[in-house]
Amino acid sequence: MFVTDFRRDFYDVIQTERVLLFVASDVDALCACKILQALFQCDHVQYTLVPVPGWQELETSFLEHKDQFHYFILINCGANVDLLDILQPEEDRIFFICDTHRPVNVVNVYNDTQIKLLIKQDDDLEVPAYDDIFRDDEEEDEEDEEQSGSESEGSEPSGKRTRREEDVIERTLKRRQRREWEARRKEILFDYEQYEYHGTSSAMVMFDLAWVMSKDLNDMLWWAIVGLTDQWIQDKITQMKYVTDIGILQRHVSRHNHRNEDEENSLSIDCTRIAFEYDLRLALYQHWSLYDSLCNTCYTASRLRLWSVQGQKRLQEFLADMGLPLKQVKQKFQAMDVSLKENLREILEESANKFGMKDMRVQTFSIHFGFKNKFLASDVVFATTSLLENIEKDASGTDNFIRALDSLSRSNLEQLYQGLELAKKQLRAIHQTVASCICTNLVISQGPFLYCYLMEGTPDVKLFSKPASLGLLSKYLLQSFICSTKNKRCKLLPLVMAAPMSMERGTMIVVGIPPETESSDKKNFFGRAFEKAAESTSSRTLHNHFDMSGKRLPFLPPHGSLVTQGSGVILGNHWGGGLGTPPNLSFHPVRGPGEKPHVQILLGSRSRASQKPPELSLEDQELLGAERLGL
Amino acid sequence: MDSAEVEFLAEKEMVTIIPNFSLDKIYLIGGDLGPFNPGLPVQVPLWLAMNLKQRQKCRVVPPEWMDVEKLEEIRDQERKEETFTPMPSPYYMELTKLLLNHASDNIPKADEIRTLIKDMWDTRIAKLRVSADSFVKQQEAHAKLDNLTLMEINTTGAFLTEALNHMYKLRTNLHPAESAQSQDF
Repeated sequence: MFVTDFRRDFYDVIQTERVLLFVASDVDALCACKILQALFQCDHVQYTLVPVPGWQELETSFLEHKDQFHYFILINCGANVDLLDILQPEEDRIFFICDTHRPVNVVNVYNDTQIKLLIKQDDDLEVPAYDDIFRDDEEEDEEDEEQSGSESEGSEPSGKRTRREEDVIERTLKRRQRREWEARRKEILFDYEQYEYHGTSSAMVMFDLAWVMSKDLNDMLWWAIVGLTDQWIQDKITQMKYVTDIGILQRHVSRHNHRNEDEENSLSIDCTRIAFEYDLRLALYQHWSLYDSLCNTCYTASRLRLWSVQGQKRLQEFLADMGLPLKQVKQKFQAMDVSLKENLREILEESANKFGMKDMRVQTFSIHFGFKNKFLASDVVFATTSLLENIEKDASGTDNFIRALDSLSRSNLEQLYQGLELAKKQLRAIHQTVASCICTNLVISQGPFLYCYLMEGTPDVKLFSKPASLGLLSKYLLQSFICSTKNKRCKLLPLVMAAPMSMERGTMIVVGIPPETESSDKKNFFGRAFEKAAESTSSRTLHNHFDMSGKRLPFLPPHGSLVTQGSGVILGNHWGGGLGTPPNLSFHPVRGPGEKPHVQILLGSRSRASQKPPELSLEDQELLGAERLGL
Repeated sequence: MDSAEVEFLAEKEMVTIIPNFSLDKIYLIGGDLGPFNPGLPVQVPLWLAMNLKQRQKCRVVPPEWMDVEKLEEIRDQERKEETFTPMPSPYYMELTKLLLNHASDNIPKADEIRTLIKDMWDTRIAKLRVSADSFVKQQEAHAKLDNLTLMEINTTGAFLTEALNHMYKLRTNLHPAESAQSQDF
């Protein structure tokens, strides 16, 4: 059920209890966790924090801890599945779920006792009505029994016959009604659950809770801003929702930071100040050189087509148009001439318009404390994401999580700077990989979608074994591909991206991206499509990622079956708006020893959902069985 | 004595806070505190004020002397005089540090206050060094310093006494003949 009064029904309940906090591995969840931790520390609430990157970890941790706690809080996980079914808790355990994944599973919505959803109801949820989905089936059975019982009673033959006829008619009518109701229910549920999308950032929900309790601080406001910016950078929300949420946060920012304008009473320089900025869209440009930032930001790199020689020339023209000397632009941004930096934003925007980049500036916030430290929200998001997905040897998942969590505090600036360096490496790697993929035509158009596979030997391929990095790479690749291809039809296709995940275990990770359209509502069909594909090809898939479109596949070289952890790519003739029927996607394993596995995509209409999986030869079945035991 | 111990002693000083919660009178070994009512100022020891501030349960009211003009006057007077002038509080350094680290958003012009207090501290320590130097040179037997705070004494105390001990030993070893004579029976 939805919690209406957050303070009374959530915070007051857990204030005197010990709680277990499950936090997913993305920046929005980290920010929400930070805000909640700050609130807990103020009120001396005992809690245990468990980072959970996927469903398996959630289940194992739950089994470990379930006897010690009565109250569980899940951040950015758990809303889109039937939680009680998966975790099988006792009757008196209560779960508070603050999750951005939509659609919310109907069981979670209509469960009154154990599941409490910390979700604002003015988000466009469109939950189907209770009566359309649930119905008392007991009445039906009783009536059937009565009617069959009444049949056996003896009475006048003619009377009985008419009564029996009436009974039969009634029963068939009821049965037909029931069948119609069930068919309608299936359709409603299918429509409700077919597309995945994201709602309001959890960090913003937590900040709202703090505000309602009058315990909100500037620091918490900053974390809410970072959570929202993370959603925008990972393309989880629409532009309009982003702008609306920025407006909401802007009100809070002016409420907290109005003292800075007053000269008389201004705060100490060490206090955090947050300011609204209409700043450039270049990634990390204030901590890098302007040239590097222009080259490695998806937006500029794809539109200027920087993977080709002509693209480089176009970049030089762009810089010349703005009047920025090359030597200055290649220096660290902080070392650039002040006269050049003064009107940089306006000059850049003007020139960008001439070169076809209309949205060079974006509304965002920056934080400022001490004399030296100024960060944009997007800088912090990139740094924290790269810390979370750090692939260095001695970094385990939990260590990365804790380090990333620490970097969000003001006192841990070295972690943040380390994260910035890692983010620079990551962006460079993404740019180079995209350039090589486009130049070597690795992006293949496979009918209704585009497909790209990263070979094991590609440099920096280890960086892309994590879902968020691979997702970022796929988005950049799709944008660049759209700008580079002349084929009009290809511009509207979604992208499936595959990369090796772990060489020792032989798994692959696959990601899917919806097509780029102007008015896309960021709805993702891949979750369901991948599930159906996995069923129909009986390949071993692991839907571990909380985003339903993520899958981990075992990569068996002789079979080359491919499982993807997709972030939801819609395959089909129509998409992004729910027009038309999404076809059934199935992957057909293709053999070829030593060959790179390629995938034949079989498409069919919805009615083929019950198709039998393709038959494997005996040898293959043995191998598959052996692998299943071993892996 | 350790600087941390001096800070601990300083935390017993009373400051005024304005709580945002309500609580009845609490009876502690060191004295009674409270009752706490939202919006009404109450005097509490510094350690409690800092704890409540960090949990966002109160607003700190800066002490009277923590004001830019007053501190400027005191600083100018300190610079004029040769001896030590009385300080607004025997624990002015610790109070300033704690209040400005944790509650700087409640104190107006926090940066200037920090600079002024630092100026005063530097002047006084310089005077202390000068006077210790002249004490040693003129081989005085005792010296009297008024208006020194515990923190300042603590910074030089350990070093000064050790140094004087060493100098005494060296001096006695310089005139061995005199002391040797008295040993004859």
